[in-house]
Parts: sequence; structure tokens; C-alpha cells
Amino acid sequence: MTFKPMLKFLLRRFVFLLVTYIVATTIVFILPRIIPGNPLAQMLSNLSRVAQANPEAIRAAEKTLMEEFGVDKPILVQYGQFILKALKGDLGTSISYYPRKVIDLIVPVIPWTLVLLLPATLVAWILGNTLGAMAAYRRNTWIDKGVLTAALIVSQIPYYWLGMIFIFLFGVKLGWLPVQGAYSQGTIPSFSWEFFVDALKHYIMPFASIVLSAMGGWAIGMRVMVINELGSDYALFSEYLGMKDKRIFKYAFRNSLLPQITGLALNLGTVLGGSLITEIVFNYPGTGYLLFKALTTLDYPMIQGIFVILIASVYLANFLVDFLYAWIDPRIRLGQEE
Amino acid sequence: MFSLMIRPLFKNKKFIIGISIFIFFLLLGILGPVFYKVDPTEMTWDYEQPPSSEHPLGTDTYGRDVLAQLFHGIRSSLYIGFLAAIISSIIGTIVGSFSAVKKGITDDILMAITNIVLTTPSMLIAILIASYLKVRSMEAVAVILGLFQWPWYARAIRAQLMSVTSREYVYLSIMAGYSDTKLVIEDLLPTIATYAFMSFVLFINGGIMGEAGLSLIGLGPTQGISLGLMLQWAVLLEAVRRGLWWWFVPPGIAIVAITASLMIISTTMDEVFNPKLREE
Amino acid sequence: MKNREILFKMENVKAYYKLEEVTVKAVDDVSLEIFEDEVIGIVGESGSGKTTLSNVISMNIMKPLTLVEGKVFLKINGEFEEISSMSREEVKKKFWGKEITIVPQAAMNALMPTIKMSKYIEHLAQSHGIDKNELLSKAEKRFEEVGLDPLWLKRYPFELSGGMKQRAVIAIATILNPVLLIVDEPTSALDVVNQKIFLKVLMQMKKMGIVKSIVFITHDIATVRQIADRMVVMYAGKIAEISPIEEIVQKPLHPYTQGLLNSVLTPEPEIRKRGITTIPGAPPNLVNPPSGCRFHPRCSYAMDICKEKVPPLKEIEKNRKVACFLYMEERK
Repeated sequence: MTFKPMLKFLLRRFVFLLVTYIVATTIVFILPRIIPGNPLAQMLSNLSRVAQANPEAIRAAEKTLMEEFGVDKPILVQYGQFILKALKGDLGTSISYYPRKVIDLIVPVIPWTLVLLLPATLVAWILGNTLGAMAAYRRNTWIDKGVLTAALIVSQIPYYWLGMIFIFLFGVKLGWLPVQGAYSQGTIPSFSWEFFVDALKHYIMPFASIVLSAMGGWAIGMRVMVINELGSDYALFSEYLGMKDKRIFKYAFRNSLLPQITGLALNLGTVLGGSLITEIVFNYPGTGYLLFKALTTLDYPMIQGIFVILIASVYLANFLVDFLYAWIDPRIRLGQEE
Repeated sequence: MFSLMIRPLFKNKKFIIGISIFIFFLLLGILGPVFYKVDPTEMTWDYEQPPSSEHPLGTDTYGRDVLAQLFHGIRSSLYIGFLAAIISSIIGTIVGSFSAVKKGITDDILMAITNIVLTTPSMLIAILIASYLKVRSMEAVAVILGLFQWPWYARAIRAQLMSVTSREYVYLSIMAGYSDTKLVIEDLLPTIATYAFMSFVLFINGGIMGEAGLSLIGLGPTQGISLGLMLQWAVLLEAVRRGLWWWFVPPGIAIVAITASLMIISTTMDEVFNPKLREE
Repeated sequence: MKNREILFKMENVKAYYKLEEVTVKAVDDVSLEIFEDEVIGIVGESGSGKTTLSNVISMNIMKPLTLVEGKVFLKINGEFEEISSMSREEVKKKFWGKEITIVPQAAMNALMPTIKMSKYIEHLAQSHGIDKNELLSKAEKRFEEVGLDPLWLKRYPFELSGGMKQRAVIAIATILNPVLLIVDEPTSALDVVNQKIFLKVLMQMKKMGIVKSIVFITHDIATVRQIADRMVVMYAGKIAEISPIEEIVQKPLHPYTQGLLNSVLTPEPEIRKRGITTIPGAPPNLVNPPSGCRFHPRCSYAMDICKEKVPPLKEIEKNRKVACFLYMEERK
């Protein structure tokens, strides 16, 4: 058995994602330079607002910014520098936190976002697919109808609004859970038991709001997919051969799971967008919250930096999903003639 | 032929529920501001009041009437949703059908673009673009959102057309010397009309959701009132943690009701026109 | 022709698709016998009810298809069992795979794509409560019999070519030695060479006694001629003619059969392919079929009686049945 087709598939996906990433970062680079209203001038005026007291500092900051944006050089050179620096991890200097480097500000918040986003997305995916498959298996029973209706409505609830409702109900009205942040104010993140419990309490609501509202979409998709698979030729033939219903259902489930994995990859961007906003609603100290602050202060180097990293992580996750997919689906692993 | 398509839909209970809810909110958005003549932007000293006979849905921190905001918000959100849907549908239909009809290199290029946009985290790019626009009209927001949600639709349209173009009557048209455009318009589009309509419905959905998301992150329309902006104000002024439920609950319900009703419309259409899903 | 044992029979079967507003009379008052050790070809254009007929034979009756009237019997251990009195679930549990197997139209996609075929066989053994090693070695043997290296069992279906897939499907379909094998349009997706191989394999299955009888459903008369002992011509939900194959080809009785055969005998391959469309007029819809003989609007011999009365299917020569007033007394 050879794994050549799988490698070929992965290489193709890698090249594709790389090209897409270059396109995306190009957009990140080009936007501030083509949008009317000269964001750079805006940035400088912002700068003077942030660092009011010290004209010396403003001038220094101005110089750094001019250099970083390289406005005096031809655009292609600027672009080259931008890419080179980004590859080295240099994403420029923040304006609102001048003179701190963007990368140093982003790195500490990333774990918070990952800790929230990854488990929530996976749990939602697993629960949603299970529910959807169950509904398809018990087609046209009250379970099916209940799951479908609930999923239809729940899938349309924005994560962040569900978060608001949770905060209001369980935080404000009932007082069960803390209403904001990732840990109590005044505590310092550490690896102690107390901190873990405290963080967990803060974690429940944002986690649950993402899981619950993301689940519905997966359930709906899975249900349709399984129903389609159950009507496909191999399911029919298996039936004609006297295969047990349970087994045929397992086949349908297995084959429906594969497109759902691709769906996971395609949805990562949306999921990320939604959870960034959830972070804002919960004042959760993740990337979304940092982005929100950068947006309100028009800290463009920071905004750019966050996007370069976020988009990269979406593509990285995409590639991991591709890898998983290729590994699970024999048609890709062994190369199917199409 | 049109009535033949529509009739089975109106026999479907779920479809009727969905379309009723949607029309109800559509009417709220259109007629609400006409009949409820309270200026949603007028600030009064009656601030943060819970619902009363004077203010049926209470007031916000600036003493503005929440019900008036809600009516205007529904109107703008639907407007943005429709506009975004029109933009996405046009792009998607053009890309998908040209890809299918022209085939060859055109197909390759268009599909490469489609796949790139499909993989691009659209919400993030939308946030990025919006962040550079100092003034954002409702239309601008709709365009930003509409620009990124078409790829899956274009791909589906292409796939459907590919299967249709191999059928006999299309050969006949080609032999009859029809031009490509004429071929697309006369022979092919009717076959994908249902699908296009279903997708349009989902695009509206995406537009409304997208507007809410952009607004919450502070990048919504810079003038006017939308459902997303209402939520953003509520978040900024800590309405949630201060328990001012009448401020953030209604816009959320409106969003969920509108998008869920559209979702129901689209899925029941799928059930009615996709025999495998039909309930028998 | 020697008198044979009857393996399967159906009597006055009406099977309709009951849709919300309309009823499609896909099989309308059809009686049919299938003998042991024969290949019976069911021929008709799409929409003639031939696939529905195959569903009735296997009792694969699922809404909206409903068995309105009639009885279906299958001989099991020398006794006729009325399978039409059982639910689809019951028939499935008792007979499918073991007594009756259907090879579906799209045999190309009939194998579970994401597991190895050996795994599939194991699952099949589990479902039927058979030892899996026993069934696996049987599968190996069967693969050899259809001309496939048993090593292919350890592969995924997509690794096989089209013709090989078809043979693998036949091998798996016959693995439990069903008495009756129903194949629905099996050759339409194959090229000529693979068609020939496929038909050979099918005949071989019968000769070796792995299956007793085969129902072969197709619109392609040429293939039926190569393989079948008897031919059943379906038109608009009814049987127009049943006859041993040589005699029907020599001397078709029903005007519809005549048209059908004429179109096959034309030298132009395009027309031959389309077959039936060369008969003027279009096949009727089965919601409101024409009165009397359903073929009369397209029939050049149509008489008054054909518009009023439904011609019964009658034996007019030995082993030959036709439903046409041309061969009956009522014609005057």
C-alpha cells in the first residue's frame, strides 16, 4: 500500500492554502494603502492623542511608524518588507500601547482564545453531529421533529446574544456565575487549584453559549446528509442483501461524517468571528477583546497584526483538518480516479 | 408553472409558519415606523425606564424609546440583508453559470477564485475592510457582507448546470446556434430557479447576522439604527450586567425570529423540492 | 418447452404510487409466473412500470408505493409462501439476501465506498448470523467464479474498474445463494466488452446453480435476446406480451412488440439505442391512462373495441400470452 496519493493531496492542499494565505495577507497589506482618507495620517493624529504629554515620544513614534509602513518606498518594496517582517514575527509597533511590539501584545492573549474556541467548537461539532444523526435515524418521529425544530431555532441564535442572555439569567438574576472576564479581578493567573476553579466558573458561560448555538447548524447538516446517504445506492443494496438497519445506519453515519469534517474546516472562519464577538460580550481577555480595543483606538498595526495571525491560524487549522480527512477517507488516502 | 411550484409549498405547515413569521417582521419593519411615530434618536430624561404604557419597550441610557429603535432596526437590518443577498446572488449566479457554460480555462480561473474566497475567513476580512472605512453607510456594510458569501452558491450552481448542460435540449440549443448568453438565460436558469431562491433566502440570513456581528465589534453602519447597533449600544453601556433586559432582549429576538423563519422557509423548500427529504 | 416448476407467481397485482393528489398506476392488474431455472427478461421503456414490477417481485414496497390488490407468492422449501401478506420489514428480514436479492440500477455505486469489501462481507455475516470466516472464504470462492482475484476483497470498491465493480456486486449479491436474482438495468453503464463479460457471469451463476432464476429488467432488447429464456413486454403498467424469446423475436404478436423489435432491427445505431421512440406518439402518463387498451392511441391496428375494453392477457399459442384484441374473438 502506498501513501503517495495522500501526500499528493496534502501537497495540493498546502499549496492552495499558501496561495490563499498570500492573497489574504495581501489584502491586509493593501487595504490601508488604497482606502481613501489616508489611514496613516489618521494613525498619527491618534498617536498624538494617546501619547499626549511627551512631544519627544510622539516624534519618536512617528519615526518608527513611518519606517514601519515604509511609505517613502515603492509599493512593491513595501510589500516585500511587510512579508519578510511578518515571517520573522515582526508585526510592527502598537500605537495605543506604544512602544510595545504588536507581537508581544498578541501572544499572551492567544491561549485564552484557543482555550475557549477549540474545545467549544469540537464539543459543538460532536454533539451536533450526534444529535443530527439520531434525528435522521428516527426519521419523522417526535425525536426527529423536536431535534430539527430546536436545531433550526438554536442555530440562528448568534453566539454573543446567547451569551448576553446567559449573563443576564445566570449571572445577574440568579447570581450563579461570574458575569465577566476569564478569572476574578485581582487574581493572578497561576497553576493553582483555586485559580483553576475560578477560571472554570468564568469559562462555563462563554463556552456554553458557543457550544449551544454552534451545535444547531451541525445537527441540521448532519440530518440531511444522513438521510441522503440512507437513500443512496450502497444503502439500498445493503438492504437488499439483508444487512441490519443498524449497520446501514452506521455506514451512512460514517460517510456523512466525512463532509462534515470538510464543513468544519470551511466554518472555522465564521466560528472564529462569532467567538471573537463572544469574547467582547464577556470581556474575556482573548484575541477578540484585544481586536475590539485596537479597533476602537484605530491601532492599525495591531489590527493588521491580529489579522495576519488569525488568518494564518485559520489556514493552519484548515490544513490540519485536511490531514485528518485524508487520513480517514480511503478514497483520498489511496487516490480515487474521478 | 410558477403556481405549480408554489402550491405544494403552501400545503406545508412548516412553510406557512415560517413565511408568516417572516412577513410579520417584514411588516413591522415597513409599517412600524409609519404608525409608531416616535423618533428613535430623540433623547429624553426618561432614561433606562422599564417597559411602561408610555414606552412599551422602555428606554435606553439616553432616554431613547426602545420600541421605536426596534422598528427602525428591523427595517435597516432587513434592508441590509436583502441588499447583501442581491449582491451575493448576482455574483454567485454569474460566476457559477459562466463557469459551467464556458468550461475550460474560464472555468478553472473562476473556480480557483471561488475556492480562494470560500476558504478565506470572510467575517475576518469583512471586519478588516470595515475597519478602514471611516464612514460606513448601510449600503457599504451590505456590500462588504455580500462580497464574501457567494462562493458555495456559485459552486452549487455550477454543479447543477454542469449536469443540465449534458441534457439533450441544451445540445439542441447549441445546434440551433444560440449564443452562450442566450443559452444561459433561456434554457439553464429556469432549472436552477428554485435553488437560487433558496440560496437568496439564506443570503438574507447571512446579511442580517453579518450586520449584527460587525456592529457588535464596533464596525456597523455609522448612521441610522440597526438591530446590531442596538445590541452594540447595550453591550457598550453594560445593559446586560445592569439587568436592563428590555434593551438587549428585543433586538436579539427579532434577529433570531427573522433568521429562523428564513431558515425554515429554505429548509421546507428543500424538503418539498428534494424528494429524498420529503416526508411521506 | 418442458413443463417447469413454478418458483414465483403473482396474481392480479395492482401497485400504485399514491401521491398527495394523484395516483400513478405503475403496475395495474398484472399476473406473472417465474419458473425455476429460467432467465426472464422484463422489457419496457422508462415509465412502463418495469422497475415497479421488480419492486413488487421482491416486495420492496415503500411509501408512496402501495400494493393495492393482488397476491405474491414465493416458493420456499417446496411450499408457496404468500409474501404479499408480510410487511416489507418482515420480507426483508426473512428473504432478502437469502432468497431474493436485487442488484440495483446503479450497481456502480452499490458497494459501501469507505470500507474494504472484506469488512463488508464480515458485516453481512454478522447481520445474517453466519460465521464470518466461513462467509469470507465463500466470498473468495465467489470472486474467483466471477473472474476476480480474491485478493481484491481486501481492497476498497473504488479501486476496481467499472466492469470489475459490476462483477464484484454480482459476487456479493449471490453470496447467500438466493433463489431469485433481480437485476435492474445492469448493463447500461458498461461498454460492450464489459457488458458481454457481465452477461456471461450472470449466466454462469445460474448454470452453477448458485441462483435458480434471474429477473432481468432492461429497455435494451438486444441484451435480453442474448440472455433470456422468456421475455415480458411491459407497456404503461400492464403486460402486453409474454413469450419464449425465440418465438417473440421471430413473430412478435402485440403491435407494440412489433414496433419495439422493428426499431431494434434498424441498421442505424442511434435509433437502435433509443429503441422505442421510433414508434409514433408518446408513452401515456399513468395517472390517467387511456381507456381500453393503453396502447391504442399509438397503435396502427386500433379498432373500436380497443378504445372501450381492456384486452385480457390470454394464451393464444402454447406458452405465448398476449393482451391484444387482434387475436381474440371479440375483434368483430
